[in-house]
Amino acid sequence: MNLGAMVWLALEGLLRKKGRNTLTMSGVFIGVFALTLIVSLGQGLSRAVTETVSGTDNLRQVGLTGGFGIELSNDPAEIEISGEMNDARRDRLRRAAVNRRQIRQVAGRRANAIDDKTIAQLSKLPHIESIQPVIVERYEMKLNGHQSPATLSYGVDVGRKRYADRVIAGSYFSGDNAPEAIVHEYLLYKWGMLNDGDYARVIGQKVRLKTIQTELTPEQQAPPMLQDMLRDLTEEERKAMQTLLPKLLKQFGQSNERRAAEREFTVVGVLREQIPGDPFNVIEDGNAVQADLFLPQETARELFLASAVNVELGYPRALVTVTDSEFAPEVEQTLRDKGYTAFSVASALKQIESVLLMITVSISFLTGIALIVSTLGIVNTMITSVIERTREIGIFKAVGATNAQVMTVFLCESALIGLIGGLLGLGLAALAMLPGDMLAVQLINEKAAIPFDQPVFVLPLWLMIAGPALGTGTAIAAAILPARRAARIDPVKALRHD
Amino acid sequence: MSLVAAKDVWREYARGGIAALAGVSLDVAPGEFVALLGRSGSGKSTLLNLLGGLDRPSRGSILVDGRDLATMNARELSLYRRGVCGFIFQSFNLVPTLPAWENVALPLVFRGEARTARKTKALAMLDKVGLASRVNNRPTQLSGGEQQRVAIARALIGQPRMLLCDEPTGNLDSATSSQIMQLLRDAHSAGAALVMVTHDPELATQYAQRTVRMADGKLQEAA
Ligand SMILES: Nc1ncnc2c1ncn2[C@@H]1O[C@H](COP(=O)(O)OP(=O)(O)O)[C@@H](O)[C@H]1O
Ligand SMILES: [Mg+2]
Repeated sequence: MNLGAMVWLALEGLLRKKGRNTLTMSGVFIGVFALTLIVSLGQGLSRAVTETVSGTDNLRQVGLTGGFGIELSNDPAEIEISGEMNDARRDRLRRAAVNRRQIRQVAGRRANAIDDKTIAQLSKLPHIESIQPVIVERYEMKLNGHQSPATLSYGVDVGRKRYADRVIAGSYFSGDNAPEAIVHEYLLYKWGMLNDGDYARVIGQKVRLKTIQTELTPEQQAPPMLQDMLRDLTEEERKAMQTLLPKLLKQFGQSNERRAAEREFTVVGVLREQIPGDPFNVIEDGNAVQADLFLPQETARELFLASAVNVELGYPRALVTVTDSEFAPEVEQTLRDKGYTAFSVASALKQIESVLLMITVSISFLTGIALIVSTLGIVNTMITSVIERTREIGIFKAVGATNAQVMTVFLCESALIGLIGGLLGLGLAALAMLPGDMLAVQLINEKAAIPFDQPVFVLPLWLMIAGPALGTGTAIAAAILPARRAARIDPVKALRHD
Repeated sequence: MSLVAAKDVWREYARGGIAALAGVSLDVAPGEFVALLGRSGSGKSTLLNLLGGLDRPSRGSILVDGRDLATMNARELSLYRRGVCGFIFQSFNLVPTLPAWENVALPLVFRGEARTARKTKALAMLDKVGLASRVNNRPTQLSGGEQQRVAIARALIGQPRMLLCDEPTGNLDSATSSQIMQLLRDAHSAGAALVMVTHDPELATQYAQRTVRMADGKLQEAA
């Protein structure tokens, strides 16, 4: 069979009713347009997320936070309640046991502190390349007559080039334990150094950092569940509590006795804020986004450990680097099993990707409704066309067309509606992606802390084919019944039809 | 050996209704020119459609090359029409949106011929029927006689062994009629068998080799 000739007959039929067929086509057009846009958004977002975090060492890192004694089971089923009793009472007692444990856990000190000893132990776990404490701490800061009561400082692994790249005045650290500091441009701005030239005045100056010493009242130090109780005390009870509570807290490992530490460093540089396009390390840099002062890692650690309470409680967080990104989720789970709170970008990424896929698929289904509605239009148009062309079908058959050929003509007619609509939908979707990308990047950068400059719409080749193919397929499916009807028309009756 | 042999053919349009054909037997020899005469409603068109495989008899057989049209499926009938028959109708039955040459070339579309071949053949056919200058005109831009000539060109383009003409001059004046009849005679001379329905006895005697009369769905064969 010469399909070209059938297609041509179909096209000729289409062109006869341009208005009607354009309207019918617009259904497919809108369906394919929306579907293409949504699927490419899903593709783009998923790729953007991956691209944004797959640079640097994001996928090899696991963030580690001390746990709160999660090794105690909170599963009521695992708690043994002995004695002869009915199930309801046993359930209640289990519940009570769990609740009491939870209180003890929160009130108690961290069950899994992160200190040099535990770091050394954890480093022996398989697939772990290194574990580095994250030093984030607030200090009283004095610089050049300026003073700030609680500046957030961050210990920089000096090997990290991305910090060196952000130094806009002065120089980078000379070593991991150099007595040097780098100041963030925002702090200088807050201190009134409005002009670019002002930076030169801080380079080479001495900065003094001092452990913050606040005398907390017992109420301020008490764990949350005790606060209510403290509020309801009589004046006498309160006085008694004032003396009793610090002792109790000390028993639990909390203490307001702090040994002050004080150091002096030389300011060597000014660090600029992150901008879109900067490499960003979610776990590492996530700790540093609010920092105003940067110290070399070892320098920061020495200062941190100069405070007794810090030695006792350990580091707030640590950064685990695994040998290969594929082990990140496994290591994350191992650490959790040991009672730590762990987070890895690699497994978060997997979750984000599956959520994105779910969203894309479900919105695509909704958009698919547009295509389904368009099939109704196509069915209607094709039935009308078959009726209008009844006599012609008689002629086709008289000159030797088989039923299959008649059917093909009408299927081609519908396929053309679908194909043209689909191609137009694809084309417009591709056009819409340009401003769409710009708008999306702008919106994301307004809201997100992570600098972002990835395209959010991605149009892979398979989608370029699948969009119009889906439009065409839908249109063909919609035309099957009308085309069958055309094929079965009795030629004798058709030739007398007017 | 006859080209088409109808044996005791019946055609009832409604079950139990009156028979449009009631036991017709007719042989058409290859290259023979048969005229079908009879009053309106006597069953001429019905018989013609059966001979051309556009319709199937209720009873009886129509043998072509040893095969019975009555037992053929829709596809086989299509291929029979495509290979053996050319139809010419009183009302021309051209596709109004197609230019003359594409109407003529239509049978070749379903034979799967390429566009250039179709066009060459169609232009040659149109030249034969004297319409070389009207190849791109649509049917509405042509006179009745011209339209019928396009229809003849279309019927002949597949080189059929049998032309089935249902009152081909019924809508035309006498001068135009004789032009059309001349073309049909040419086709006959070239070797095609012709079965022509008419209610003009003069045309029948002037052109046909054999005239068959019909009344109430039955044949009354005459000289
Ligand atoms: N499709 C049909 N349905 C019912 N009756 C029909 C149909 N076609 C023809 N007839 C009837 O069959 C008879 C023969 O018709 P036809 O063959 O068209 O006659 P003619 O061509 O000789 O005028 C007529 O009575 C006509 O009414
Ligand atoms: Mg008739």
